[in-house]
Amino acid sequence: MYDRMQELGTEQITRIHDASMDILKNTGVIFNEDEALEIFKKNGFRVDGKIVFFEEKDVEQALKTVPKRFRVYARNPENNVDIGEDDFVFVPGYGAPYVITPQGDQREATMEDYDNFCKLVHTSKHINMNGWMMVEPSDMPHETVHLDLNLSNILLCDKAFMGSPVSRKAAVEGLEMAAIAWGGKENIMDKAVSVSLINSLSPLQFSDEMAGSLIELARHGQACVIASLIMAGASGPVTMDGVATLQNAEILAGITLSQLVRQGAPVIYGSTSSAMDMRTGALSIGAPELSMNVSFTAQMARFYNLPSRSGGGLTDSLFPDAQAGIESALALSTAARNGINFILHSCGILGSYIAMSYEKFLLDEETCGLIRHMFRPTAVSDDSIDVEMIKTVGIGGQYLTHPKTFKLCRTELYSTDLMSRMNYDAWTKAGKKRIDQVAEDKVSQRLATYERPDIDPGIEKALTAYVAAKKKG
Amino acid sequence: MSDLKTITETLLTGDGEKVAELTQAALDAGVSAKDILDQALIAGMDIVGARMESGEMFIPEVLMSAQAMGGAVEILKPLLSEEDSAGVGKVVLGTVKGDLHDIGKNLVSMMLESAGFEVINMGVDVDPDAFIKAIKDNDADILALSALLTTTMPMMAQTIKSVEESGLRDKIKILVGGAPVNQSYADEIGADGYAPDAGSASKLAKSLMA
Repeated sequence: MYDRMQELGTEQITRIHDASMDILKNTGVIFNEDEALEIFKKNGFRVDGKIVFFEEKDVEQALKTVPKRFRVYARNPENNVDIGEDDFVFVPGYGAPYVITPQGDQREATMEDYDNFCKLVHTSKHINMNGWMMVEPSDMPHETVHLDLNLSNILLCDKAFMGSPVSRKAAVEGLEMAAIAWGGKENIMDKAVSVSLINSLSPLQFSDEMAGSLIELARHGQACVIASLIMAGASGPVTMDGVATLQNAEILAGITLSQLVRQGAPVIYGSTSSAMDMRTGALSIGAPELSMNVSFTAQMARFYNLPSRSGGGLTDSLFPDAQAGIESALALSTAARNGINFILHSCGILGSYIAMSYEKFLLDEETCGLIRHMFRPTAVSDDSIDVEMIKTVGIGGQYLTHPKTFKLCRTELYSTDLMSRMNYDAWTKAGKKRIDQVAEDKVSQRLATYERPDIDPGIEKALTAYVAAKKKG
Repeated sequence: MSDLKTITETLLTGDGEKVAELTQAALDAGVSAKDILDQALIAGMDIVGARMESGEMFIPEVLMSAQAMGGAVEILKPLLSEEDSAGVGKVVLGTVKGDLHDIGKNLVSMMLESAGFEVINMGVDVDPDAFIKAIKDNDADILALSALLTTTMPMMAQTIKSVEESGLRDKIKILVGGAPVNQSYADEIGADGYAPDAGSASKLAKSLMA
């Protein structure tokens, strides 16, 4: 297939790989975590203080044991998802401290907001997995909020969810809650029921929280995204190939640790590196460099036979306006078309990750639906083309009343729930609403008609009791 | 009554064969043709119209229901009194001269028929004089004009002018429609009404007959 986006040739990929190996071998990566350093030492890595140095053969050994695809199990088996190769998932926004209101005001996010987003994910036709910390609730104690988020994830939505990697303790407690939901730790040790986001600290570091969480999660067979977010020109080189090289070194260092902890632990090669805005110093995720890097990330991951994570409905705009639509659709479409497998931040994010918007959640969700539909294979079979039908209708006829049109009119073509296809008079009659205003109405309807999925009352009781006990300390 | 309800429900699924079967069965059971027409079929198409407007039903589904209705009406026709079979009113409908677009107008035609109108479909590229002759020959109540091109829209105005000159204007209501047409254009050329889609066209036609 012809695509104008740059395809990296073997020579270019090898150049990036070799440069990363040079960095890993000679500069190394800092792990601010004692057990991580012990694990590296035990496996014969050169460690100087907190700096770990990697030989190419060690990295290659680790890459051999990473599964190229894996399944994440959901509470409702119909919602199990496969990640890797041709299979990909849309996952909601992550980590936003604020909510942007339909009036364009920014307010602190609350636990109620978090629950609402769980409900929107549960009722979404296009979002395949629940996230984690879609918003950061300001009304809950920081030390224990991970428990509340995990509980809402499990109770309010029956799709697969993301894990709580904010600290080693939070990761362990998340694992214990998942174990309760699946009837015992032994039931999740060999199957992923969560995907957690582990970020490097660019350039070339891993924090104690992230490395500690990675160790616990890999040890328990839970999937992790090892991701790097470099700001080109600030926390990494100003050139995008330089960024690709630096992030590659960081990601491979994290992946190597995961496989030393447990061979075969499912991990995803991830990056959402982008440009720094040279006027303001702010991170820009609406920049075209973001989408360039999305493509490079997908290509490097394929080179290593790894599942990849990047992209999303990413924008710098602070309102679900035209800018948000343009930037988000570009990044989402680039990620999906280039073969990214885990598309985090698929919906809801505004203002360079600063806020979630309910209305934008619906807009992006629709974009996900459009994109997924574009990838539906066209049969190109005798039955599907149906040349006899075309001859029968003949010159100047119509297909509206043909039985085949009737039979396929609901399934063959994409039906939008959100986009306006009205003519001017109908649009005027409907109040000349912009898409964010239409979305605002639909958010209320969705939340009002939401029904909580069934759960074994014994499991629910055990989960709430666990959270209560942990909060008491 | 439950027979009539079943006919309505089957009509909504677009299964023409079944609707015809049920219509015959209702007649055999002694239900009057008029009751079947009004309470089962036209009542059903009212629901179809509403569901089309709300987006619940898709156009091919609406047309299937309309065709199913047409099939049932054929069975009922010989049994209806002249007055009953005359239906709600007579519509002369066509695409104006110079314009060859057919599908949208036919959609409107089907919706009008299933709402109980008798439709004289003149086809496409219809000369103003041909419209006038059809109005006279059929003693029509409504003239419905279609145009899909901005270049043929002025022909709508000219057709209306010809109707005025023929002295028929007071006797007939004129509806216009088509993608580039809107309410203000309809007002400007002196039409009695404009509808943006087939569902609302039949609703509008009915309101003009009331």
